[in-house]
Amino acid sequence: MMAASLAVMSEDATDRRPQRDWVLVGLWIALVVVAIVWIAPFVFIVFTSFKSTAQVMSTSAFAPPLSPRFANFSDAWARGRFGTTVFNSAIITLIKVPLGLFISSMAAYALARISFPGAKLLLLAILFGTMIPFQVMLAPLFTLVNSFGLIDTYPGVILPYLAFGVPYQVFILHGFFRGIPVELSEAARIDGASHFVIFTRIFLPLSLPVLAALLIIDFVATWNEFAMALVLLQDRNMWTLPLGLSAFQGQFSRDYGQLNAAIVMTVLPATIVYLIFQRYFVSGLTSGAVKG
Amino acid sequence: MTSFLNAVRISAMAGTLMLAPSLVSAETITLWTLNFSSQAANDAFQKIADDFAAANPGSKVEIVTRGTDDHKTALRVAAGSDKGPDIYFSWAGLGLGGEYIKAGLSLPLDKYYAEYKWDDELIPAALSFSKIYPGGRQGVPSSFKGEAIYYNKALFAKAGITELPKNYDELVADAEKLKAAGIPAITFGGTVNWHVMRLMDVILESKCGAEKHDALMDMKLDWSTEACAVESFAELDKWSKNYILSPFMGIDNAQSFNLFVAGRAAMVLEGDWLVQQLSEAGNLDDYDIFPFPTGTNRLYGFAEYNYVSTKSKNPDLAAKFLDYFISTPVQQEVLGKFSPTSINKNVVYKDLRPLDQKWVDIFNTYSQVYMNGDQAFPLDVTTEYFRVINEVASGNMAPAEAAKQLQTFIGNRG
Amino acid sequence: MTPRKVLSDARSQAVLLLAPALVIYLVFAIYPMIDVVILSFQKWNGLDPHRQFVGTVNYSDIFTKDPVFWGAFRNTVIWTILSVIFPPIIGLALALGLNQPIFGRNTLRAVYYLPVIIAPIAVATMWRWMYDPFFGLFGEVLGMLGLQSWNQDWLGNRNIALYSAFVAHLWQSVGFSMVLFLAGLQGVNKTLIEAARIDGAGRWNVFRHVTMPALKTTITIVLVLSIISSLKAFDIVYGLTGGGPAQSTQMLALWAFTQSMQIFDFGRGSAISVVLLLITLAVVVPYLRWSQKREEFQ
Repeated sequence: MMAASLAVMSEDATDRRPQRDWVLVGLWIALVVVAIVWIAPFVFIVFTSFKSTAQVMSTSAFAPPLSPRFANFSDAWARGRFGTTVFNSAIITLIKVPLGLFISSMAAYALARISFPGAKLLLLAILFGTMIPFQVMLAPLFTLVNSFGLIDTYPGVILPYLAFGVPYQVFILHGFFRGIPVELSEAARIDGASHFVIFTRIFLPLSLPVLAALLIIDFVATWNEFAMALVLLQDRNMWTLPLGLSAFQGQFSRDYGQLNAAIVMTVLPATIVYLIFQRYFVSGLTSGAVKG
Repeated sequence: MTSFLNAVRISAMAGTLMLAPSLVSAETITLWTLNFSSQAANDAFQKIADDFAAANPGSKVEIVTRGTDDHKTALRVAAGSDKGPDIYFSWAGLGLGGEYIKAGLSLPLDKYYAEYKWDDELIPAALSFSKIYPGGRQGVPSSFKGEAIYYNKALFAKAGITELPKNYDELVADAEKLKAAGIPAITFGGTVNWHVMRLMDVILESKCGAEKHDALMDMKLDWSTEACAVESFAELDKWSKNYILSPFMGIDNAQSFNLFVAGRAAMVLEGDWLVQQLSEAGNLDDYDIFPFPTGTNRLYGFAEYNYVSTKSKNPDLAAKFLDYFISTPVQQEVLGKFSPTSINKNVVYKDLRPLDQKWVDIFNTYSQVYMNGDQAFPLDVTTEYFRVINEVASGNMAPAEAAKQLQTFIGNRG
Repeated sequence: MTPRKVLSDARSQAVLLLAPALVIYLVFAIYPMIDVVILSFQKWNGLDPHRQFVGTVNYSDIFTKDPVFWGAFRNTVIWTILSVIFPPIIGLALALGLNQPIFGRNTLRAVYYLPVIIAPIAVATMWRWMYDPFFGLFGEVLGMLGLQSWNQDWLGNRNIALYSAFVAHLWQSVGFSMVLFLAGLQGVNKTLIEAARIDGAGRWNVFRHVTMPALKTTITIVLVLSIISSLKAFDIVYGLTGGGPAQSTQMLALWAFTQSMQIFDFGRGSAISVVLLLITLAVVVPYLRWSQKREEFQ
């Protein structure tokens, strides 16, 4: 649903220009002013990230850092053990996101294109899963992962991430696969191709745009996840970026410059991915997924 | 489902076994403790273990370090199985440390206390915690932390305070003088619950005296009917309305420290570890310390202990290692690596900063200790203690009501 | 059966394709959900090897002996009501505005959406610093406006802390509602709007009689998603206030976590989780029915 709606994010404003419409001008001014308010926190954080604690305490919040302290970043990087946390976040995200998409699309294909008893019920169970908050299951999740001996391991956090990512992705992809013309796969079926072949040769290439959008969304969600990691990753050598930031805030909150540098470093990767791929969301999400 | 789970569980266990080190010999003991703050501390601890092994041929000490939360969880995980360490680190007191003891994780050490005469070697304040449990003496101190008032000399002088307060009433009078001079007397950070709690702890000790304080923390006395308890909450209310740098509920302890260093308040109630931070952030000559004048002749503080596990196959060796660890030569050698002071009273200090020297003197003066509320109470009561303290401190609950609600909670535990 | 035969059998292929996703989903999502219900009838501190069955004690404890539970319940309800009102309304307003042919609207959309992609815990850290009563942004801005006395202990004053936290959440979540509405607006029949315009209908009437009815489905979806996401409120509260001061911003999800993973009373924590789960189901089940019907209708 989120994926689908993102498609509208940056489609080109090709509507024809009307005559000067003063209502529109007023609207534009209002939207720009609100946008400035919206972006102000970022400006404040970035400015502060370049200031020393003394400067923070003595200069105005919106005063640009005239003698920027880049050391805030290197210091925060070292003290916040960003090397470790970025590495862990990267490993977890790089394994979880493609793997999750792959198993979800297989399942979505089966549900959309193979008729078997109980398919409808299964779809409903999966749709149900998109709505259930995993926050209520943190404790049993902990005991479950612990009983596998997987606390403080990559699989210990990746498996639950997969489990809670599957429903949403299956749901979106199911909608998309349903929209692909039956003739495409029927011809292949008659030629004796197995479903697995049809899935990999026909459906996967066709759904690349959807997969790309889901990939980016899942990247951001996995990269940002906090609550489950908090419970499943207790060893600080296994912490992800959000856990590291939370701990940094607890330990070094009196170094205002470094704290803000830590925030900037945490937020930056997701922001860059978003800004780069923003256009990509557009490219081909069909209405099949939009109706969500 | 279940059989599937079992299958996965078994394969996971098989995986764990493969990773486990080759079967440990009977002479190996394992020690679980917290991550050390510095590499120097890490190396020092490893050296102690190696030296011990060298002095006792055929034995080996394996050290496993973890982060605080991971350590707590690991102990909880180990408790459910027959694996686990021979010696484990925990805090002293009925809170976390006490919970493990109650669960039967800790071996009473009376025998070893007699054998090794630890009482003659360690500072009394740190030792006192080993005696608070029913069923024998538990654990051996590894470090001791005291907490006292740090004050800004210039601000005290500005307010016309020439003599340090000798009792609680004099302290309040001084706080009043500071207030009159336009100086907030003390600063706390309210978002970390345990910071404001310190003020409640020391007031309670002042108002109730040692015996009642302990009985209240032991939950043997009724908070709602004990006048001094209600009175303590009322005092807390007074401090938060008049003497604490405001606002304080929305900042944390680190921010409060910044404000103290910036001269925005005259006092903080902090631990001996603050000396180092203070020397980095300001000029140590500008500050001095005095124990909170409770009038009970007890020091406010808490201790960290090493406990011998009941699951240890080799408690004799574990005790022998602990004895080695706290012995005077070893403690003398690692002095300053784990903390500026030692729990061994025979350690000699040289070239101490004046404030550190003061701490050493304080540790040698007091033989008794009252501990932080969050170390004394069980976890759920601690949470409630925090809540009523914060309610009072933010002016939202009457002192009598706070005492009543705390007591109700304690009564409900059944 | 030969392997070839298995592969050719459509049903077996379906099973093979479904298995990985389904097994992981069952083990790591459905099983914990069942286990949380079981745990809620047990007493367990994480230390004992055995969990002890205690009947409904945990439930009666949280309902009658827990001084925080009802406050957390109340806060969750307030948070949900606020989440159903403000982000959707502001999101709709922005979407309507940004659906007009105005200069730089793609940039504006990107700006409003940016907070959505930031980790909630980072949003909490940012806002906590902005709310700093001594050096934060809000004190600063009020100072510039000459309203220094309006500065508050935003997160420390129990009367406003919950709302302060909500404003941070609002900042983060408006973009999401906006995008859903923008998607919905794509589905509004443009010729219908043109026709209404030609008939002389004003902007308000077009909105009222053409746009709004066409957005009905989107509105339902936005509201349901807002409710569900507000019931899960965890990261932002954990990071901003940790439930304080004096548990005045405590939420059900966070309180369940605190009971289980910090006080180590797994039974009570799970009972709180089950309450939250039931509330969620009360929203989700009717919604699923509704969307099921819609599907069949189409």
